[in-house]
Amino acid sequence: MTDEREITLTVNGTEHTIEVEPRRLLVHAIREDLDMTGTHIGCDTGNCGACTVLKDGEPIKSCLMFAAQADGAEILTVEGMEDLPEADDIHPLQEGFREEHGLQCGYCTPGMLMAGKALLDEHPDPDEETIRDAISGNLCRCTGYQNIVRSIEYAAEELENRAAADGGAVAADGATGGGSAASPQGDASPEGGHAAPEFGGDADTFCGREDCCGGPDGADPFDRDALLEANDADAAGDAGGTDDAADTDADDRGDTK
Amino acid sequence: MKSAPFEHHEPETVDEAVSLLESLDDPTILAGGQSLVPMLRFRLANPDVVVDINGVDSLDYLREEDGHLRLGALARHADVEDSALIDEKYGSFADAAPLVADPQIRNRGTVVGSVAQADPKGDWGSILLAHEGDVIATGPDGDRAIPADEFFLLPYDTTLGEQELITEIRVPAPEANEGSAYHKLKRKTGDYAMAGVGVRLVFDDGVIESAGIGMTAVDITNARATDAEEHLEGERPSPDLFAKAGELAAEQSNPESDEHGGADYKERMVDVLTQRALGDAAERAGTVTVERRVTQ
Repeated sequence: MTDEREITLTVNGTEHTIEVEPRRLLVHAIREDLDMTGTHIGCDTGNCGACTVLKDGEPIKSCLMFAAQADGAEILTVEGMEDLPEADDIHPLQEGFREEHGLQCGYCTPGMLMAGKALLDEHPDPDEETIRDAISGNLCRCTGYQNIVRSIEYAAEELENRAAADGGAVAADGATGGGSAASPQGDASPEGGHAAPEFGGDADTFCGREDCCGGPDGADPFDRDALLEANDADAAGDAGGTDDAADTDADDRGDTK
Repeated sequence: MKSAPFEHHEPETVDEAVSLLESLDDPTILAGGQSLVPMLRFRLANPDVVVDINGVDSLDYLREEDGHLRLGALARHADVEDSALIDEKYGSFADAAPLVADPQIRNRGTVVGSVAQADPKGDWGSILLAHEGDVIATGPDGDRAIPADEFFLLPYDTTLGEQELITEIRVPAPEANEGSAYHKLKRKTGDYAMAGVGVRLVFDDGVIESAGIGMTAVDITNARATDAEEHLEGERPSPDLFAKAGELAAEQSNPESDEHGGADYKERMVDVLTQRALGDAAERAGTVTVERRVTQ
């Protein structure tokens, strides 16, 4: 039976028309027909959530849905994260997974990112229980949920900071999702950002991030290029710090034995 | 694994869907697909023809109408979870929705699909039984209402006719002194129930006028605890009364031992869950607060 049909999927803002058999699963269409392999297949039973994508803004498991059923839908996959309006060079969630060691082996990460994205779209300031509930359909085979929860908390905070710095522009754009790649940060009205007292560059209110927009070094918080450069310099300087990190990890492991 | 090839039909109206069911040879209905798609993939189901009703927009509703809460065949678990109406008036539905599987599955899976699947571990069947609800089946001769009590036959087997489509489930809208609740024991988030109990209590002047109790995962189908219901009716709620009802529900349950627990343990859990659900339902009815012998 080769009852192929033509369907249109808008994936990460780009429209694709493909031919699929009715039995073609959405996850296979994304990975094999569209060659976007960021969306993973983990369990083949619908349990693990590695194949989570957003369909019309809602998280779904793309291994539990036929591609033909998504005809005409807007799909967001992990590949689209860095092009979202709220993303800088990468999305705050991706940044959170890097900063808080939420990546671990990385297999579940795409699904976790999509579940996290859906959560933060609806609850910008979730408590831990809400985060755990939101990722309850996503299994981590490292069982390292603690860092994943922290990563999502990090992103929530980061998004809030950026929204405050932008006078809310990012939050408003972010809610619509799936849009253009343009970051509004470069064009944001400096007045809006500087006016907020907590971003006035006061060391007492410095949030602790190297690229904090109100950082104490007096850098223009809206000069993205300079901030990226500063970030790179920091990253280079971090090499010497890895021993400390390793020690901390070893201590942590010791504590749990 | 991929499913075997099948013919995919996408009707846009109930009439179209029903005439497809009439004309096609042994078609399978696809709604949310959260149970069916894995079954197709593992080839536990091998239909030649699938009738996908997701395009029948008229079935996408959750509303109170004509004295009933009515859920169309495309109402998703997440629709129940997010509904202000449910939150305000239907305790058992509000309790159960967030306990069904996980957020992604709740976004796709349908309540009616879960009832149609007739998995004894499904939560909604018990709630339908507790509320003495109806399954509305639409066939070539029109609609008929199947009382929940007459719907479930065996695991995955119901009294639905071959050419019928379940278009709706409905339960009576709550009376003034009514409360309902659902309690579920599961091994971890996202699992099916090891045991679950749905309860509906209607009070008249402080006395239990009518009681409905549905049980999940402790018999070959969703089952009613009729002995416990009878024991409750005509009585004033008290810890002793609820303890006895729990005991009777446990006696009437018929669980099987499996890797998650022995039959004895599950029976004891039916007892506990029944008492908890009765306590919540009584409290929600607004007439009484019963001291809990079994705490949360």
